[in-house]
Amino acid sequence: MSAAPAPAERDTAPAPAPLLRVEGLRTWFPIRAGLLRRTTGYVRAVDGVDLSIHRGQTLALVGESGCGKTTVGRSILALERPREGRVWYGDTDLMALPPDALRSYRRKLQIVFQDPLASLNPRLRVREVVAEGMRSFGIGANEDERSERVAALLRRVQLDPQTMWRYPHEFSGGQRQRIGIARALAVEPELVICDESVSALDVSIQAQILNLLGELQAEMGLAYLFITHDLAVVRYLADEVAVMYLGQIVERGPTERVFEAPAHPYTRGLLAAVPSVDPDIRHRSLRVLGDVPSPANPPPGCRFHTRCPECFERCRQEAPTLFENTGGESRCWLSDPKAAPPASG
Amino acid sequence: MSAALEIEELSISFPVAGQRVRVVDEVTLQIQPGEVLALVGESGSGKSMIALGCLRLVPKPGRVDAGRVLLHGRDLMPLSVPEMRKLRGASLAMIFQEPMTSLSPVVTVGEQVAEAILLHEKVTRKAAHARCVELFERVGIPDAGARTHAYPHQLSGGLKQRVMIAMALSTRPRVLIADEPTTALDVTIQAQILELLRELQRETDSAILLITHDFGIVNELADRVAVLYAGRLVEEAPRETLLHRPRHPYTQGLLRSMPGSVVKGERLEEIAGTLPPLTELPAGCRFATRCARVFEPCHESTPASLQLAPEHSAFCFAVAEEEGG
Repeated sequence: MSAAPAPAERDTAPAPAPLLRVEGLRTWFPIRAGLLRRTTGYVRAVDGVDLSIHRGQTLALVGESGCGKTTVGRSILALERPREGRVWYGDTDLMALPPDALRSYRRKLQIVFQDPLASLNPRLRVREVVAEGMRSFGIGANEDERSERVAALLRRVQLDPQTMWRYPHEFSGGQRQRIGIARALAVEPELVICDESVSALDVSIQAQILNLLGELQAEMGLAYLFITHDLAVVRYLADEVAVMYLGQIVERGPTERVFEAPAHPYTRGLLAAVPSVDPDIRHRSLRVLGDVPSPANPPPGCRFHTRCPECFERCRQEAPTLFENTGGESRCWLSDPKAAPPASG
Repeated sequence: MSAALEIEELSISFPVAGQRVRVVDEVTLQIQPGEVLALVGESGSGKSMIALGCLRLVPKPGRVDAGRVLLHGRDLMPLSVPEMRKLRGASLAMIFQEPMTSLSPVVTVGEQVAEAILLHEKVTRKAAHARCVELFERVGIPDAGARTHAYPHQLSGGLKQRVMIAMALSTRPRVLIADEPTTALDVTIQAQILELLRELQRETDSAILLITHDFGIVNELADRVAVLYAGRLVEEAPRETLLHRPRHPYTQGLLRSMPGSVVKGERLEEIAGTLPPLTELPAGCRFATRCARVFEPCHESTPASLQLAPEHSAFCFAVAEEEGG
């Protein structure tokens, strides 16, 4: 691979405190079996994740199905109960807060799902869908004022304000996504978690929504946690990327660094697996073979070793940690600055 | 040499709000033996309906209004239901997006593939099972012998798709229709399945009609590409021409709206608006409501096929004006 050197764009100024910081997050789901539904094991969906997101920035969390990326997002919002870890919002640990204190932070953290209206009561008109959060957080003095705000929000996401009197099922995928974004923005969040928000859309509509998300970020200084499996979307919009595999982050760093010079063999395999649309680039050789092992029983040593084309003895026995690696971090023995590289061959 | 599959002016309609709407409108395509033709379009383009039309499986209340489908020169439209059933899975096979919906959950995958072989060939059950193990090995299912005894739910998505491919290949079809064969799969698994399809295609020299929304997959597998919008062909060209020098405004817009087409932070090019509801499709060119290059003739009649190069054609008045001007 002829990787260009990573651009030297590291900040020299002291880094500002992150808006959100996740430390040592572990979210396991019990496996129950037998008549008494006894817990016989755990699916380690998220198994020790650290990440931070800065104001106005986009962090993309990428990985294939079952890697735990969605559970990270849900755990941050307390929609899942992690068994360990901290979620710092500024100086406050959200996981230590009692439920009513957590409520006021809910306003700052919003989520847009793949189909944002699917989980809502289908008999709610768009106005109610968008205004619901405003009412519960006391935004707007009365219903008239809230209606005005709903109209302004709909206009901002490029929908006719009159659509507020219609029902969600009357809208196409792209329009539903716009309504979901308006609903999230209604409570003036600082961080929006986008969980596969553009994955189900046709490419012409996806471009419209990606442009809208970019405009809103620039206008409002929003931070995004963008959860997706789509690497082209990640490269387009993320400032930083974290790649997940079997519940752990295996590589992270500035987007261009990760795409131009991926350090972890899984990242390299993932990037090589995406088919290019350049007619001169075809049939790249496969790097990652086989299937993902079960997160209920992850392999010993490095979790990726069963599929890694560069696996050696140590990988089967010892789990690597995240090592600093040219502006990013990589969970791979090959990135360990202390270890001598194995004899190549 | 006759084409492996010919679709001639195929039209398929559905009743919507008291009128019949053409979801596929006079589509003509040809695939030569050993060729992969990709049929590309977004949701609602009619691409899957064309596949179902070829198999004579258009669900009611839809119907084929007009047109012919020829398999190696033989017209499929007049065939009886039993004749057609015999053909499907034998000389004309298919792979769908979601293998789970095409496999029975209560029969082992080995029995299902053996059953498919027995349906089309006079062999013993034992020989069919042996062939099944061979096929499983061929499509890269690890531990093939033991895996024939597995039920679909015991296999991963990638393995189920390999079973589907084994089943489709079991009768050595001459034409294979693959409808979004990797859309439900993760990217590392998708790469493995694409590689497998490419190998098999080289080996068997069958013709493939590949239905997809993904130009990356088009680039990996296709020889030629046909682009559909709202049930009509808009452009047809060899893979390289279509990806490098598309001419129809819709094809150009699709390729430019992909996130990989611009550098980070730049605006993506959008195709304005959305596909209109089927009952409100414009007269004239169906893309006219979203097209940046729309002018009077587009509202008046349907653009005809315009030959731009030996294998490159587009259906567009603006392109015709460029060419003629």
